[in-house]
Amino acid sequence: MAEKRTRSISGRLMMMNILVSGIALLLACAGFFTYDQITFRQSLVRTLSAQAQIIASNSVSAILFNDPQAATTTLSALKSFSNISSAGILRSDGKPLAQYSAAGQKPLVTLPQLPKGGGEAHWFGTKHLLLIRQIVSQGKSIGLVYLRADLHEINQRLKRYATITISVLLISLLAALLVSGAFRKSVAQPIVQLANTAQEVSREKDYSVRASTIADNEEVRVLVTSFNQMLQEIQQRDSELQQAHDKLEQRVSDRTRELVSANKELEAFSYSVSHDLRGPLDAINGFAYLMLKQYSANLDPQGRNLIEQIRSGGKRMTELIDDLLNLSRITSSVMHSAKVDLSTIARSIMEELCRTAPERKVQFTTSENEEAFGDPHLLQIVMENLLRNSWKYTSHHQEAHIEFGHTRAEGKTVFFVKDDGSGFDPRWADRLFHPFQRLHSSVEFPGNGIGLATVRRIIQRHGGEVWAQGEIEKGATFYFTLNLPDKNV
Amino acid sequence: MFLLFLSSLVASAQGPATESQVKAAYLYNFGKFVTWPAVRANSDSFGICVLGKNPFGNVLESTVAGESMGGKKIAVKKISNVQEAAASCSVLFISSSEERRLDAILAAAQHMNLLTVSDIHDFADRGGVIGLVSEGDRIRFEVNLNAAGRCHLTLSSELLKVAVRVIGTVPGS
Repeated sequence: MAEKRTRSISGRLMMMNILVSGIALLLACAGFFTYDQITFRQSLVRTLSAQAQIIASNSVSAILFNDPQAATTTLSALKSFSNISSAGILRSDGKPLAQYSAAGQKPLVTLPQLPKGGGEAHWFGTKHLLLIRQIVSQGKSIGLVYLRADLHEINQRLKRYATITISVLLISLLAALLVSGAFRKSVAQPIVQLANTAQEVSREKDYSVRASTIADNEEVRVLVTSFNQMLQEIQQRDSELQQAHDKLEQRVSDRTRELVSANKELEAFSYSVSHDLRGPLDAINGFAYLMLKQYSANLDPQGRNLIEQIRSGGKRMTELIDDLLNLSRITSSVMHSAKVDLSTIARSIMEELCRTAPERKVQFTTSENEEAFGDPHLLQIVMENLLRNSWKYTSHHQEAHIEFGHTRAEGKTVFFVKDDGSGFDPRWADRLFHPFQRLHSSVEFPGNGIGLATVRRIIQRHGGEVWAQGEIEKGATFYFTLNLPDKNV
Repeated sequence: MFLLFLSSLVASAQGPATESQVKAAYLYNFGKFVTWPAVRANSDSFGICVLGKNPFGNVLESTVAGESMGGKKIAVKKISNVQEAAASCSVLFISSSEERRLDAILAAAQHMNLLTVSDIHDFADRGGVIGLVSEGDRIRFEVNLNAAGRCHLTLSSELLKVAVRVIGTVPGS
């Protein structure tokens, strides 16, 4: 690209030089040639006229005494003039007295008539110049002499001129080449360098580069200087932008750090709160148990019922605290990624559930080798929560069907757990995953609303998504994706 | 261009000249190449004299009619005695009828600075200045430079160039 531009600029300069010098030279040559032709023709006529005069005066006696031999001798002097192709002396009655013709030339047979009163006249033809002169004796015309000169010499001159013109043109072309080389240094080279610099700047995004300002030409220097100024400005803005960007980055990382520490504090707080709550709760549970065991004989049935209520509440609170601790552990625990066979996990969970309630008729289907990449322990928790959920919400049905499998959407594997249980109102689908949010009463289905929140937290830690579809009494389907970079595959 | 064929020029010319016409023209033309001494130059006409029996008839008169020589009128005279030439003759044609008296005539003519011309055989060799000779059907002439010198006549080299024979040398050369 740069090479091409170089050629075009210096090429144009060269063309300009050649054109200008060529035209000037051609015009000059044409002028010289025209002048030379005119003067050469004039001198040719003058020379021929002088020769005719000499022959005329030398042939008077030959005409008067009818002596062709003497006339021939006179004409033979023309031999020394190579340009004269033929000549002749004619008597007044028009009869030729003597004729002369150079080797290979024929004497003239036809002559133009002299204009009246003119002692001499000449005619230019394409190849010849013809001159006729009267021979006068004692004031009376006694005959004519004609001379015919070859214009070969003029044509030769024309050729010589053409040769000189062409060779000078060639030399000037060479000179133009050299001159354009010099021009290229002073004009084209800075521009080419400028172009190269511009390319380098746009390619490397390096605005600290400067074009060389060594240029003889004023305009080019101005161009280069303003280009450099432009670069300076861009560089300045670039660095300002970079500074602003760096500041922003700094602020973001500061905020993130603050946020992370705040989050950690919050988690530590919730953990310690949950942990610390367990002590008094264990005391309540333990003393309620001891009271029921040792003092139940002293209590009436209503008293015993009240203590049962305390124990039931304490038990629920223990579960709640355990779940909360689990949730916070999940959030903070270190992840160990591995290949996990979700089908096997699902099957073992379902087998265990069936054992706890052998009277229930639940059909479970799963596709084989549903492999995923993630933390095995956390994925176990996910599967447990989802399957227990389905198990729980199909408990009111005589027969139930639970399915685990996967589909593909937008190039990703989407796992799902599907049941035909009680379902939910799709309007509240999002609320399912918020902690402590329940769509059913705990009387209808026991639970504390932590399970799906835990699932969502784990899926989020795996870079995936979780969502649910369902309708009341038409079952529910929970979908999730996992998006951990699979390092082992 | 007005091109004319030479043949058409020939056609427009007069018929072939007779011997008398050619000789008459020569008599007149010789004058153009001869310079006479100053004495002769003073006369007001250029005289061509025919001595003896006139062989030209009136051809000579018609040939020179209206012509002039060096601005002087040409006068033709027929004389029977060489002494008559002294007054007004520049060119003296000696008829073949005078061949017997030739030496005397030439001796007389020498003093009168006359250009002697004749068609008498060997005229130039016998002391005449210009002798007319026949060469085939052409009339040519011989020149005796010694005789011309004796008559104080200067003959142009142009004339000598066309002469068939030149006797003697130009004085001083």
